[in-house]
Amino acid sequence: MRNLASLLFAGGLAFLLLTLLSQLAFGTPPMRVGSEILAVAPGEVGAANLVTAILLGYRGFDTLGELAILFAAATAAGVVLGRRRDDARRDPPGGEVLRTGADLLFPLLVVVGFYVIAHGHLTPGGGFQGGVILAAAFFVALLAQPARHLSHGLILWIEGLAGAAFILIGIWALVASGDFLAPLLGPGRMGELLSAGTLPLLSLAIGLKVGAELAGIMAHIADAEAPDT
Amino acid sequence: MISDLAVPNLFVAQAGQLVLPVVLPLLAAFLMQPLARVSTALARGLGPLVLILCAWITAQLWIQLGDAPFTLAIGGFAPPLGILFYADGIALLFALAVPVFALLFWPGSESGGGAGADSRPGSDQADRDQAARRDALVLLLVAATTGLALSGDLFNLYVFYELAAVASFGLVALSGTGRAQVATFRYLMISAFGSVLALAGIAILYMQTGTLNLGQLAQLAPETLNNPIGSAAFALMLIGFGVKAELFPVNTWVPEVYAGAPARVSALLAGLVSKLAVLVIVRLLVLIFPQPEAAQMLLVLGVLGVLTGEFAAWRAKDFPRMLAFSSIGQLGIVFVAFSIGGEIGLLAGLAVALHHLIVKSALFGLAVRWNGSLEALAGAARTSPLGAALFVLFALSLVGVPPLPGFWAKLTVIVGLAERGTPLDITALMSILLVTAVEASYLFRVAIRLYQDNPDPVARHARRDLGVSALLGAVLVAATLGLRPVADVLGAGAAQLGDRAGYIETVFPSHVAGKD
Amino acid sequence: MMSLTLEGVVLIGALGLIVIGALGMAISNHLFRMLLALVLAESGANLLIVLSGYRVGASAPILGFGDPTAPMVDPVPQVLVLTAIVIGVGVQALAVALLLKVYRVYGTLNVRELRDRMDADVATAAGVEADASQDAPAGERPLPPVPAHASVGSGGFGRRGPVPFPPQSDERRP
Repeated sequence: MRNLASLLFAGGLAFLLLTLLSQLAFGTPPMRVGSEILAVAPGEVGAANLVTAILLGYRGFDTLGELAILFAAATAAGVVLGRRRDDARRDPPGGEVLRTGADLLFPLLVVVGFYVIAHGHLTPGGGFQGGVILAAAFFVALLAQPARHLSHGLILWIEGLAGAAFILIGIWALVASGDFLAPLLGPGRMGELLSAGTLPLLSLAIGLKVGAELAGIMAHIADAEAPDT
Repeated sequence: MISDLAVPNLFVAQAGQLVLPVVLPLLAAFLMQPLARVSTALARGLGPLVLILCAWITAQLWIQLGDAPFTLAIGGFAPPLGILFYADGIALLFALAVPVFALLFWPGSESGGGAGADSRPGSDQADRDQAARRDALVLLLVAATTGLALSGDLFNLYVFYELAAVASFGLVALSGTGRAQVATFRYLMISAFGSVLALAGIAILYMQTGTLNLGQLAQLAPETLNNPIGSAAFALMLIGFGVKAELFPVNTWVPEVYAGAPARVSALLAGLVSKLAVLVIVRLLVLIFPQPEAAQMLLVLGVLGVLTGEFAAWRAKDFPRMLAFSSIGQLGIVFVAFSIGGEIGLLAGLAVALHHLIVKSALFGLAVRWNGSLEALAGAARTSPLGAALFVLFALSLVGVPPLPGFWAKLTVIVGLAERGTPLDITALMSILLVTAVEASYLFRVAIRLYQDNPDPVARHARRDLGVSALLGAVLVAATLGLRPVADVLGAGAAQLGDRAGYIETVFPSHVAGKD
Repeated sequence: MMSLTLEGVVLIGALGLIVIGALGMAISNHLFRMLLALVLAESGANLLIVLSGYRVGASAPILGFGDPTAPMVDPVPQVLVLTAIVIGVGVQALAVALLLKVYRVYGTLNVRELRDRMDADVATAAGVEADASQDAPAGERPLPPVPAHASVGSGGFGRRGPVPFPPQSDERRP
């Protein structure tokens, strides 16, 4: 009965969406806001990567909300999983090959992560992507050697301060120019590493926060998932 | 330090401060856990302090700027490009209500302990961590709901809606029981499914119009969205945003979550968060989807919610579940009211919504102690006479007994329905009258049980919860005495809320912005 | 009617993912599979957003790469989808955490077994002898009594101790 109802519902949904399919104009979007941003963003924000210009400039407030959501998820995961049971056992460490590989990968991943963060306003990439790579560096280390301990305290400080830095940059703009998160420091010369005003700083804050957040969730899950047998 | 910066600026940059009630709680939430490692007292005081500051800033802005609606372009980017905050009377009212209610139901460690088992000493560090997380989540919820009240950008609304959702998952899971975790997971799945639909709706709207700004969408709506595509997008977003607003088909999470969550969290979710989700739906309905199909959808789902909610409440066997089902029913009435449209519909909807905000929060405040089955409440009037008296007051108002504001709110809905008078409206009217009888039946059944003789009644209320409920009861009585001024204020708010042309004019002054 | 262009294929894929995901969430009776179905549906919605900014023959919205006069795709949906993906990741991580906890408490993620065990839990907490037939798979022991403070909803927002786990938890692993 329940399955039948769900099938009918899904069929209805599919039908509804399919009727739309034939009417919408794909491949030729109206681009009311889009083309205007394409025209003014290089001058106003100065980032070569226009997606980053929107992400941290025009829609920077969304990005703050997004950071907050990730933070809320990490915090809620902490609430759910609580602290590690002292009696729980950990996975045995990985073999020699795995450990050596992880040790070799770790610095590489960290460098790539920071590179992606630092060039977010020039090339595809940015705080979120780089932050995930940073977190991955710690995942690999943790997976190869489960006994290694990620310091929750350190993670908390990094994510707290990085998040606060993002907001404080915004408030700085509020005090300096009257608008929260308005671009500061001038656009600079397009295409240079130090350009686009405060955008690289925001990217760095996001990268550190995302990295710390994901590493924190991972550490919580790894702690919780210590098998008993 | 931040307040030092903010306060002098309040007189310089005016509307720019409107972001602070959203941003300051976020800042405090980010710093909460590291601070708790340094100083527990500091972390414990930070939350209430920030909430007071937010309420103060909002109140200041309202007093200084609030006569006419005003906007704030975040980052200084001109309206259709950047994200916009739009503040009219209703938005500011809710933006003010959010920190106030969060303060009233702030999770205090000492007084909040419900069951005796709670005070069981655990590991100190773990407890402090958990308290810091809990405070951070409440602050995130405050930031998100304030953003929902103020934002004038479709996607930004979605982001804040999701933030409110994720923060409330964490808060519901706080009680730590297995049942609560399962309830949270269900809630998360329904909510995430709703988000998928809402995202699809947003994508369709964007394909059709190429903008996310509510003002520009309102401008474009008559020519681009008054068609099946627009109606489908509305249906998708209605279901999506309806999850938190306890709309009929996507409200199955409600009873388990409200019964499993700490009662104060339930008070915040049922009272505050659901109203903000309703406000988002109303904004969409008024600005972007004025076509009759959209209102009809809302009406039908609202009636179904009213009937299912109230009958389920009648069958409920424990206090929190009864309140949860009754909340579904009441929100159904809110939807019915808003579907009437026009000034009277908006007025009726606002009246029922605000009335429910006060009454249901207060009732959940009572449920902190009365969290068991209804049978266990027998004789509770002896240990907690004030609590029982307050329950009777709220029950009377919820049913709609004449002098109380609940009567006026329901009457406005019924008059609005009768005025329009289509068969569907008459059906809605009849079902509201029907469920009023049902409400009376189950609420007074509880009231009678409270005053029964019982040698072994439940524990009395903590002073704080009782105080909060008494305060809200006093507000209710004050509203009864001053019904006319309240009605006038709400009427003005409803007129502003329904003023589509005014919204467009405020966002794009002097019509220069018809940029297409 | 549209011919089968690239965007047509992507659109059908996006809608298909949403519908498959919705169906999977509705009919699967294992909580983790429900979560996977949700991930599918979210991917569908994300695809739909990206598609809403697609412009035939246009290039990526990055200056300094390729022909500067060529048209660019709409950059706004790309930002939206980035945001939506990150939000999705957060929600999914939280869902996994919840599932871990649920598994630790009840020893199953199967919806039917879970319901039986939750019922047994309530019965035990209420001091009623749980009906043996209520306990899922035959041959399995009924749940050990759950300490009262773990199953009685803690009223307020109060402090709570660490949640105790049934000591025999490993025996209940399937």
